[in-house]
Amino acid sequence: MLASFLAIPVMLVLSVLQMTAVSRIVLLNGTADLVLLAVAAWGVRERGRNVFIWAFIGGLLISFTTSMPLFTPIVPYMFIALFARLFQNRLWQAPILSLIAVVFIGTLFQHIFNIIILQLNGVNIGLLESLQKVTLPSLLLNFFFLFPIYVLISDLGKWAYPEDNYE
Amino acid sequence: MKSVSPQTLRTAVVIFLVIGILLLALSGFLRPILGVFMDPFISAQRWLSERFMGVYDFFTLPRDVTDLLQKNAALENEVSSLQSQVIQLQEQLREADVLYSLLDYARSRPQDKYIASAVIGRDPSPFLHYIIIDHGSDDGIQHGMPVVTQQGLVGKVDAVTASAARIQLLTDPGSVVNVRLQNKTADAQVKGSVTGEVTLEMLSQNIDLTSGEILLTSGLGGNYPGDVIVGQILEIIKTENQLFQTAIVQPVVDFTALRAVLVITNFNTININPLIPTAAP
Repeated sequence: MLASFLAIPVMLVLSVLQMTAVSRIVLLNGTADLVLLAVAAWGVRERGRNVFIWAFIGGLLISFTTSMPLFTPIVPYMFIALFARLFQNRLWQAPILSLIAVVFIGTLFQHIFNIIILQLNGVNIGLLESLQKVTLPSLLLNFFFLFPIYVLISDLGKWAYPEDNYE
Repeated sequence: MKSVSPQTLRTAVVIFLVIGILLLALSGFLRPILGVFMDPFISAQRWLSERFMGVYDFFTLPRDVTDLLQKNAALENEVSSLQSQVIQLQEQLREADVLYSLLDYARSRPQDKYIASAVIGRDPSPFLHYIIIDHGSDDGIQHGMPVVTQQGLVGKVDAVTASAARIQLLTDPGSVVNVRLQNKTADAQVKGSVTGEVTLEMLSQNIDLTSGEILLTSGLGGNYPGDVIVGQILEIIKTENQLFQTAIVQPVVDFTALRAVLVITNFNTININPLIPTAAP
């Protein structure tokens, strides 16, 4: 229960950081997505069953700030949460490897989903150009921020579930 | 003649000897002899002094070091505080420079009313080019209002809350601005893209376009006021088999370094959609 409520301040801080600082760190045209990383990092944890609440809150906060069609950012985050739960401890029994796989597939899914949504809304956006100049650099930046976010989320998880430390 | 007494003579000899020794000592002739007697005394004095100072330092120096450490820490704190003040002042100076530039621009166009706003964020999606400013409907900002800087056109207000507004930049893939060439009677459109590249489109093939030409808003469509600088032609893409020629545009505004913008509040956007003819059912 505490971990579910924890999602609100964490996602709030991360989304504010995303808008004010991280979106200014640009590689070609790509930027990192802290909310995506936090959802993935929480989802690959053994006690991360409530990751869907994290994904929903994160997606909702991003929905209010982005100019993407309302509530559409929730869909990729929910998919990433699902993917993280599917990969949890099944990929070489190592959460960090699962996390890398989730972030890789999650970023690709999120960007392709966004491109399709924008095209459906009449925005002239090329798939190949977007993948080359936005998605691949975003992927690199996501990998760059992956480990600090993983450490942060792991510490938060230990704080939320202190009994895990004695397992 | 009265004879000199032996006592007087002895006294005189002693006086002469003392004067002689004094003269010899003052002239330095007695230094080696004095050294033999004085050196052990000086060495003993030095030894004693060093031991005494050692004992003295033992009792007094730790207190002095503590004092020095405290003073050093206080000075370091002061230096840090002053450094942060310097950084704050430099930041304020930079903001003041930006605001002065905006003020100059506002004075050059007295017919318009402006609200100066600071840029406080960017759209989290890398596909979209939007910024968030720190003024909203409480300050009189409404949807569709044009946004400029002292350099030229930035974009238009896309969404408004009570205390913030979202601005669609000229570089956004969904942005279309009607423009005209400064030195020719030709209208065209400027469109953004996902990479932030701005292109000039819908320009007739008959127009002899040259790189470096300035583009201004035409005012057509009623979304932007006329005669605001948009950018200049960077590279012309002219293919014979197309109806229109296109060109890459260099915007005058540096969108990566936007810190403050001016929202034109007395410009009323015109919705011309009802006037656009639609296909009969």
